[in-house]
Amino acid sequence: MRIVIAEDAAVIRAGLAEIITDRGHEIVAAVGDAEALKDAVAAHEPDVAIVDVRMPPSHTDEGLRAAITIRRDHPGVGILVFSQYVETRYAADLLAARSGGVGYLLKDRVANVAEFTDAIARIAAGGTALDPEVVSGLLNASRHVSALAALTAREHDVLALMAEGRSNSAIADHLIVSERAVEKHISNIFSKLGLPPSDSDHRRVLAVLAYLGT
Amino acid sequence: MGGHSGAVLNDNHIMTASAASPFKGALKAPFTRRAWAELRYTLVTLPLAFAAVAYIVPMLANGLTWALSAPAVRKFGAASRLFARGLLGEDVPAPPRLRSKPGFKLETPDAERLAKAVTAAGSKARVWETRPGVTVQGLALSRISELAAAEGITIREVRPQSEALNWLGGRILDPVTWRTRCYFGAKLPLAVAGLLVAAGGWLGGLFYLAAPVWWSPLRRHFPFAGFPFLAHVTPFAVMPAGLALLLAGPWLLHGITETDRRLVRGLLGPSSPAERIRALEESRARAVDDSAARLRTIERDLHDGTQAQLVALAMKLGLAMDKLHVGDLARVTQLVEDAHRGALEAIADLRTLARGIHPPVLDNGLADALATLVNRSAVPVELIADIPERPSDAIETIAYFSAAELLTNVAKHSGARHATLEAVHVPGLLRVRVSDDGRGGAHPVPEGGLYGLAERVRTVDGRVEIDSPRGGPTTVTVELPSHA
Repeated sequence: MRIVIAEDAAVIRAGLAEIITDRGHEIVAAVGDAEALKDAVAAHEPDVAIVDVRMPPSHTDEGLRAAITIRRDHPGVGILVFSQYVETRYAADLLAARSGGVGYLLKDRVANVAEFTDAIARIAAGGTALDPEVVSGLLNASRHVSALAALTAREHDVLALMAEGRSNSAIADHLIVSERAVEKHISNIFSKLGLPPSDSDHRRVLAVLAYLGT
Repeated sequence: MGGHSGAVLNDNHIMTASAASPFKGALKAPFTRRAWAELRYTLVTLPLAFAAVAYIVPMLANGLTWALSAPAVRKFGAASRLFARGLLGEDVPAPPRLRSKPGFKLETPDAERLAKAVTAAGSKARVWETRPGVTVQGLALSRISELAAAEGITIREVRPQSEALNWLGGRILDPVTWRTRCYFGAKLPLAVAGLLVAAGGWLGGLFYLAAPVWWSPLRRHFPFAGFPFLAHVTPFAVMPAGLALLLAGPWLLHGITETDRRLVRGLLGPSSPAERIRALEESRARAVDDSAARLRTIERDLHDGTQAQLVALAMKLGLAMDKLHVGDLARVTQLVEDAHRGALEAIADLRTLARGIHPPVLDNGLADALATLVNRSAVPVELIADIPERPSDAIETIAYFSAAELLTNVAKHSGARHATLEAVHVPGLLRVRVSDDGRGGAHPVPEGGLYGLAERVRTVDGRVEIDSPRGGPTTVTVELPSHA
């Protein structure tokens, strides 16, 4: 895969590059600010762009805004945004475009090499990768307290993993159950929450998040 | 020679429009339109000139009088305070001494807005336009920079005003002198009233009390024409009036003196309470802003420095664990070495960060801390430290960081070959002075180091004086109270 990195801290940029190239991907550009990121994406049309939320000059949300622009202008490019803190607002803005190929992770998550590379793969395939912290934040803050309380513990876990954007087989691996069990849980969840069943992984993420956000 | 018309001799078309002969043109001169106009002008503007000079000269002299009279007026005020202390027991501390009020010429494209901002901010400041900017007098430069920054006005250049104008401004604008003048304006009627009351009370009271003595001889010499009823009044009836006057007098006098006392305290003291409160509020707001800004800086440093380093470290170790699972020991070794090096760097950077918050060496005292600063300076610095008693912790910290900032400026901007750092602690005052033989031209810019220094110093009611003419040498003096 061809990847662009946008991160202003040189040590992190180097570390990311090391992990990514170790997995066999190619870094076509590594930049340090939002403008350079947009130029690099336009020039190289990578499979995924990895973007830090905070970048110069104001160190607030340049990266995020650039990511949203890129989603609009280059829909074929997957975007993985990572941030020092959980900002559910950023996640919501990113997902607003309704199409797949987007992810939002905490910087801590990149230290887990397997999860990080799995997230990149999911995004490149058009899926979603949301940080578990973001998902648990959404679950805790949701107003559907009674409906969510009606879920069993297992169903709760499946819901969380689904909201992260994982596929059924990934959820099955994670929880050490069979894929069929996962499918059953999911249909239970959807009927308990009153959501229509959905076909693609990404669309069900949106459905769940839309549900949690309202 | 030859062939030239009268046009070459002069360029006034009226003249050349007349005959080709210059002779004829000269003869016509008294009667041209231009000549009449000029004559009218001269006749009209002559009285105008007289009137203007008659007004301007006294006004100038007036202004000069205001400036020259300041010390003497203050002496009158001091005499009043002396009498109040000695005779009334009213101890009013002396106001601050006369200082020249620095003025600054600021070059800015947005002169009008800056002038308005300055006028709105300080009643004591005077602004006037001096193309291509403004001159401000009576407001600290750091405050002016603050106002400009708040309005988004860029200041291109700052030049201190001439010493003569500073001196004039200092004297004419001196609030103490004006308050003293106000005091005496009120004092005179009060004093006269006091005298009348005293005379009426004591003298009048005694006079009427002594009525039996002078009643008869007075009656003999001055018949009470016009006051027939007095003929039937015995002297003893008048005596109570005398007693009343005698007793009332001191009370009235007390009332008058009380008013005077309040005036002395309010007008001849160091500063009016309202001024003091306003100054304190401003100082507190600055202190709060200053600490908020410093916390933001610390957060940024931690986020961009330490946190980034730790994330990179975690990534290296995560990859190392991965490689360990597949048995790639060579790679694991490399990664662990990198991680180790990264950890050491993070520790060193964190140490520097912590020192920027509070240097441990300060615990040994300011003199030692300044010595380490001097050792680290790229430019040779001579240290003179005379600190017999330690000022409070907060003051030491501010003094240390001020000295650090000033020495950094010397090394980075001044091009100096030699510098001096002087730190002297006299009772109540800590003075830190850095001088260098560099190129000068130092002035605070908003968000700059000198500006931040001035702000921090002001939060403890200290002072910063910058003497840095173009071409150098530069001397910056920071004065801090011993206790914040």
